[in-house]
Amino acid sequence: MSDIALSVSQPNEKPVRSAARTFRTIQTVCIFIVALVIISPLFLLVVASLKDDRFQILADMGSFRAFWVSDPTLNNFKEVGHFSGELAFGRYLFNSLLILVTTVGAGVIVNSMAGFVLAWGTVKGRAAILSIVIALYVIPQESIIMPLVIMVSRAGMTDTFAVQIVPWIASPLYIFLFYQFFAQLPKELLEAAQIDGASIFRIYRSIFMPLSLPAVATVSILTGIETWNQYLWPILVTQTDYARPIAVAIATFFGQDSIYWDRAMAASALMMIPILGLYLAFQRWFVSSFVGSAVKG
Amino acid sequence: MGNRLLSSLILTAAMSATAQAADTKVIHVMHQGDPAGVAAIGAVAKAFEAENPGVDVETIYAPHDAYNEKFSAAVMANQLPDVMELDAPFLANYVWSGYLQPIKPLIDKDVLDDMTNSNIVQGTYPVDKDLYAIGLTDSTVVLYGNRKYLEEIGARIPTSVDDAWTREEFEGYLEKLSKLDGVKWPIDTFRGYGIKTEWITYAYGPILQSSGCDLIDRTTWKSAGTLDADACVEALTMMQTWVKNGWVVPQSAGTNQFYAENNPAALALGGHWFYAEAAAAMKDDIVVMPLPKFGAKGASPNGTWIWAVTKTSEHPDVAGKFVSFMLKDKEYRTFIASKSGYPGLKSFAAESPLYAAGGAMAIAYEQASKTAIARPPYPAYPTITSAFMQAVDEAFNGGDPKAALTAAAEKIDEDIEDNDGYPPFGDQQ
Repeated sequence: MSDIALSVSQPNEKPVRSAARTFRTIQTVCIFIVALVIISPLFLLVVASLKDDRFQILADMGSFRAFWVSDPTLNNFKEVGHFSGELAFGRYLFNSLLILVTTVGAGVIVNSMAGFVLAWGTVKGRAAILSIVIALYVIPQESIIMPLVIMVSRAGMTDTFAVQIVPWIASPLYIFLFYQFFAQLPKELLEAAQIDGASIFRIYRSIFMPLSLPAVATVSILTGIETWNQYLWPILVTQTDYARPIAVAIATFFGQDSIYWDRAMAASALMMIPILGLYLAFQRWFVSSFVGSAVKG
Repeated sequence: MGNRLLSSLILTAAMSATAQAADTKVIHVMHQGDPAGVAAIGAVAKAFEAENPGVDVETIYAPHDAYNEKFSAAVMANQLPDVMELDAPFLANYVWSGYLQPIKPLIDKDVLDDMTNSNIVQGTYPVDKDLYAIGLTDSTVVLYGNRKYLEEIGARIPTSVDDAWTREEFEGYLEKLSKLDGVKWPIDTFRGYGIKTEWITYAYGPILQSSGCDLIDRTTWKSAGTLDADACVEALTMMQTWVKNGWVVPQSAGTNQFYAENNPAALALGGHWFYAEAAAAMKDDIVVMPLPKFGAKGASPNGTWIWAVTKTSEHPDVAGKFVSFMLKDKEYRTFIASKSGYPGLKSFAAESPLYAAGGAMAIAYEQASKTAIARPPYPAYPTITSAFMQAVDEAFNGGDPKAALTAAAEKIDEDIEDNDGYPPFGDQQ
């Protein structure tokens, strides 16, 4: 019987295996194409930054020559290093990094604390507060930007680092994200710590936060990207180069009459490095956070 | 004893710091520009400070594409600068809104006497006929041609503004060029500048005016019946046809197809500033011609970024002195000339052989006196330009020109109605 079954099943298995192999090949090709589409703009950016002639960059656009540099040079990076303005490019980079690190650091602390209290705190009206937080999330940033400009200018905060950090520390989205993560952790953890006499802050700091690395990574990366790419806000609230970030400095290359694509590309390539570093540092937890969210659905 | 000495030292230091701060006059100068422009203005500020002890010039740079947002934020935050650079067609709106003060009493007389007529027009508010802004430069748009291609099709090359191509000639040449070997696009109208800059209204508006219509009726200040009149619809349909025929360099191809390798574009309807980069690449192959006459008369644009003193300035005298200083500054003039700056001061024209008789851009200078038409000096201009840009974009993307212009005219008139006709403009009817 088994011999018959074996002899019957063998011819059928081959097509199944071959179909699976074909499917895997198609899948790999598709993934490769998607990866290519995603990576190609970054590759183009780096290639263009190594070209010496801004007009050549433009001329190459729209053809495969855009992805190739025959005579690479670092001149654009050197020129970006000494570019005009009151301060050197390095200072703009420093400004951006300072704003990034402070906003991300403070954002993780403040939003996680708020999320923890909303999840496990004993404050009355938690549900109502949570509803307000979620409601605030749907208000677009653009609609509050002008009132915010008036507020910070009346507070005497314009042209400072603080004005680019403080308004963006607390975020309804990240509070909700932390809340959701904390709320899914077992209540027994909280109760055991309370029995051992730990304070609410100690429970938050020593038990819940160490378990929340995926949420911390997600919030850090998202806040980081948002902060790093801030463009309009720094223009509106800063007057001089003292605290201006790199994104505003790059805009200088887009003049009224001409665009300095060569230097803009080099500066953009430099601007990409720190945020790429941030992503690589948190990548493992970031991905697991997304996978976790998807599984928990 | 020691404490008393320390206290008196601190007090002395504090008093001298306060006295110094009180003596220093700080002026804020808001401007836009590319890296070289930012550096040039920075250098002027330093030179002015060196020549005027006790004056501190703080420059505020705002990127070109976010300049209006920055200005709005400054208005809302009560932080208007003392001196500001502004795009000339927006002057009426800023004066009407009460942001600027008349500049004549603040500027050196020799500089005022040096202004060209077109420069005076771009800085004058039509209601009180007072001067509110001044610039070193003005601007225009000309038709650049590739000599080799034009000779190959046997095109007539105009040598003066009176001699400009007619619409029939122009469209005939476009058709011939479209069939010529080596020409990918007969003309670049610089769609690559995008639809968020002033380019569309600035460069395409004169095509409407030359065709016999305008963006708005400049007596009744109503757009319906003018912008959507048959002449304007016909003009926009004509431009749409060029695009449909594949004669115009597409937006995605950038702004250098006229002089890029192998010269894919044969003509370029470009600003005066385009000359420097195109001539550097093409040498003697470049021909500068006046804008074609699309109807009975020729029309060309003018107006550029000019300097004004705000009403809230605490030191308007110093602000005016700074503007005068900048316009006379030799190094600043050299920098502007290096970018083929179009003279707005007679003395600067004398220093610019490019625009003098016999100069490569002489025809551009001739246009200013013969065909220049300022964009509507009216407070609703921000709405006018935005609505027109949308209409052109819609038509270039295949929309119905009549419907697009009608919608634009309605939008403009709505804004005027919402502002009660921008009195006293409305009262003048």
